[in-house]
Amino acid sequence: MHERQLEIEEAVVPAARGRAIVITSGKGGVGKTTTTANLGTALAMRGARVALVDADIGLRNLDIVLGLESRVKHHLLDVIEGGVTLEEALVPSKYNESLVLLAAAQHREKDEVPTEAMTALIERLRERFDYVLVDCPAGIEHGFRNAIAGAQEAIVVCTPEVSAVRDVDRVIGLLGNRFKPQLIVNRLRPQLVKRGKMLSVEDVNAILRLPLLGVIADEPEIIITTNKGEPLALRRDGATGAAYHAMAAKIAGEDVEAPMVEVRESFFGRLGAFFGGKA
Amino acid sequence: MERSSSFPIVKKKVGNVSTRRIVVTSGKGGVGKTTTTANLGAALAMRGHRVVLVDADIGLRNLDLVLGLEKRIVFDIVEVAEGRCQLRQALIKDKRFESLAILPAAQTREKEALTAEQFAGVIAGLDEFADFVLIDCPAGIETGFRNAVAGAKEALVVTTPEVSAIRDADRVIGKLLEVPMPISLIVNRLRPEMVRSGDMLAVEDVCEVLNATLVGVVPDDEEIIDTTNRGEPIVLDESNRLRTIYEKIARRLEGEDIPITSFEKPTFFKRLIGAITTG
Amino acid sequence: MGKGFAGAQREPAVDDGRSEVVSALLRGRSWGIEIALDGADLGEALAELEGKLSAAEAFYRDCEATLRFGELAPSADDLTRLQSLLSGRNISIRRVLGGAAIAATAEALAAPFEESAAPSAAPNPRREPRRSRVVELSESARSLKADFDGARADIASRRRAGEPSVRRLDLKRLAGDEAPSLRLVEAAPGTLYHIGTLRGGQSLQQIGNIVVVGDVNPGAELIASGDILVFGRLAGVAHAGAQGDVSARVRALDLVPTQLRIATAIAAESSARRGKKAEPETACVRDGKIVVVPYSKEESW
Repeated sequence: MHERQLEIEEAVVPAARGRAIVITSGKGGVGKTTTTANLGTALAMRGARVALVDADIGLRNLDIVLGLESRVKHHLLDVIEGGVTLEEALVPSKYNESLVLLAAAQHREKDEVPTEAMTALIERLRERFDYVLVDCPAGIEHGFRNAIAGAQEAIVVCTPEVSAVRDVDRVIGLLGNRFKPQLIVNRLRPQLVKRGKMLSVEDVNAILRLPLLGVIADEPEIIITTNKGEPLALRRDGATGAAYHAMAAKIAGEDVEAPMVEVRESFFGRLGAFFGGKA
Repeated sequence: MERSSSFPIVKKKVGNVSTRRIVVTSGKGGVGKTTTTANLGAALAMRGHRVVLVDADIGLRNLDLVLGLEKRIVFDIVEVAEGRCQLRQALIKDKRFESLAILPAAQTREKEALTAEQFAGVIAGLDEFADFVLIDCPAGIETGFRNAVAGAKEALVVTTPEVSAIRDADRVIGKLLEVPMPISLIVNRLRPEMVRSGDMLAVEDVCEVLNATLVGVVPDDEEIIDTTNRGEPIVLDESNRLRTIYEKIARRLEGEDIPITSFEKPTFFKRLIGAITTG
Repeated sequence: MGKGFAGAQREPAVDDGRSEVVSALLRGRSWGIEIALDGADLGEALAELEGKLSAAEAFYRDCEATLRFGELAPSADDLTRLQSLLSGRNISIRRVLGGAAIAATAEALAAPFEESAAPSAAPNPRREPRRSRVVELSESARSLKADFDGARADIASRRRAGEPSVRRLDLKRLAGDEAPSLRLVEAAPGTLYHIGTLRGGQSLQQIGNIVVVGDVNPGAELIASGDILVFGRLAGVAHAGAQGDVSARVRALDLVPTQLRIATAIAAESSARRGKKAEPETACVRDGKIVVVPYSKEESW
């Protein structure tokens, strides 16, 4: 009953407010930051106004992945503590006019940020941007709780590994019903899946049971471009870039297919299985 | 690569050699802390030491999974700290190794369930059971990290040769030096071909930035994912070169001076060319 | 997973006091007791009855009884003895059964009479435990029995040291705000009814039974003093009979738990079961060990 009432209230709110989406996982190293940077870039290339927020205070990385580390003058905590205005802290992207970054503080601690302050900050950003993407730190501690504080939606990133699935499942449980989480399966290696040495997307989602936003294959390109600070989404061609653009379209509400990675069983694989050997 | 079908057995320590308490940490998530803890612990056990591996990632436990012991968990570290069971009851002996046991984390609790003092107290209690205690630290630098460090006397920092990982490792090393604590470094997931093509940092570059004692370089191996999914540490695979590598790291921790295997040609030449062409 | 394994049978009901068969003389029913006095020697039967009733005074007090006689009516002495046995414990007579001659007995006892020539020794399938019949286990049960040496060794050593082998149920821990967001549709007394999938790290604890409509993911746990039923896939840890009831059962549409506990018995699935087609199964304790049988082979109560 309560839920239905909320829906009616939301319809009254002016649609001009942007969408705040947190990108999270629980497990570290699955590609949250890379995903945030690339999705943000893809959305900006569609003409949306996008703000990226690095909530990993003390261990910031979103600036590196965007190639902006030398341009960061102020950070999130400076704004919250009133030292600078939001304007002064937002760093415009090197590649897109409508993409900005709000960096994390490097020499501070996550528990220095009160949750209400985070929520208020995200609200202010929502008034000025179509999308506010929040890059969530690993873990489920204070930093995580802050990162989800201002958001209304969540994108959950998971790699096809048993330990990642366990951690992600925990996070989905903690998110509860509010965030309408969607799943990105990252770093899939079709060859390994074929040989039975890696979980498939079905294996992952058999446990996580989330609507699938897309699947990204593991490519050396990704490490290279994050080291260099050039998000892959800048190139629309190429499997990974195209995948991010498809996901951005899906987020924007377009009726597109979730980008998948083909795992075609090879003839030899089938032959091996037929003779009872490991494919 | 050299192969060994069995490790030589080290004589049990006599006299008042105190238990080594090592926290395995990184800052960045997903660089291989848990895999390193499991395999290094196994290697030390294969060399005859009594080893206890402690999972400090309360709420996101994975060490049990990586060793395939998740079905045998009855008690966990939080229950030990709360006095609801004996330390001895919570330890799970790994049947594949003579002298390896793990102390699992709790899954349905939060990191705040334990204080740093409580954690340190539990670790101190392990002195009678172990020559080596390896503490698998959670990602980040929040409560979980602080607790894990509180139980240790030395640190093993794991990083990959990527900019974001190195930056986080640097932050973590800064914090560890404040304690203070001796620090060793492992460079994980090296891809020599990417170093050669200039797309990944070389080990020397990593060491130059982090300025810590290098005790191991572990190349990327696509078997690792499958072994962690199946719960069988890779050191059990006699045909895999990582077995020897972890054994050598174990020996370096014992104090032996073994040179680090170089996996790539020196980049000095490249840098020289670079210096000449850019002036 | 034991699919179509014809030989698998379920053990007879574990004694829980509710439908206890004390002897050929006394048979427990949900409404009370049935006393068979149609044997050869009524005097002996009454002596035995007195012994049985005295052995569990509180249990039999104030209950209802049906008396079943044979063809011959009891003597006046026997009848008096019977009456004092019953009234002394406030046992009321619900009904009297027997041959035509018993009608007078019923009148003397001021109880309704029903003519019944049927012998009381109708085979009650629950009367004697069927230990003589060889019970074949399903494939899944066999693999569970053979599994888990390490944990059993741990538990044995804990028991030798006089320690609890599994953690004690401590419900005071679970405060309202710690519980995962539940959609409680109906809370029948003693049963927790949860709709939705339980994620890793979430825990449901209940004095009573637990029913989950949804999956229980690895990393989640269910702890109940009674039974556990998962209408979905059970992949986490389930502990039924957590306060010591070995007759508790765990049932699921897809029973693939990380670990199963019933009272103080503990077991884990063998990896041989992975990838097999899911079918509803029941886990219960037999001879101190946990066994799993297909639900279709579980006899109904």
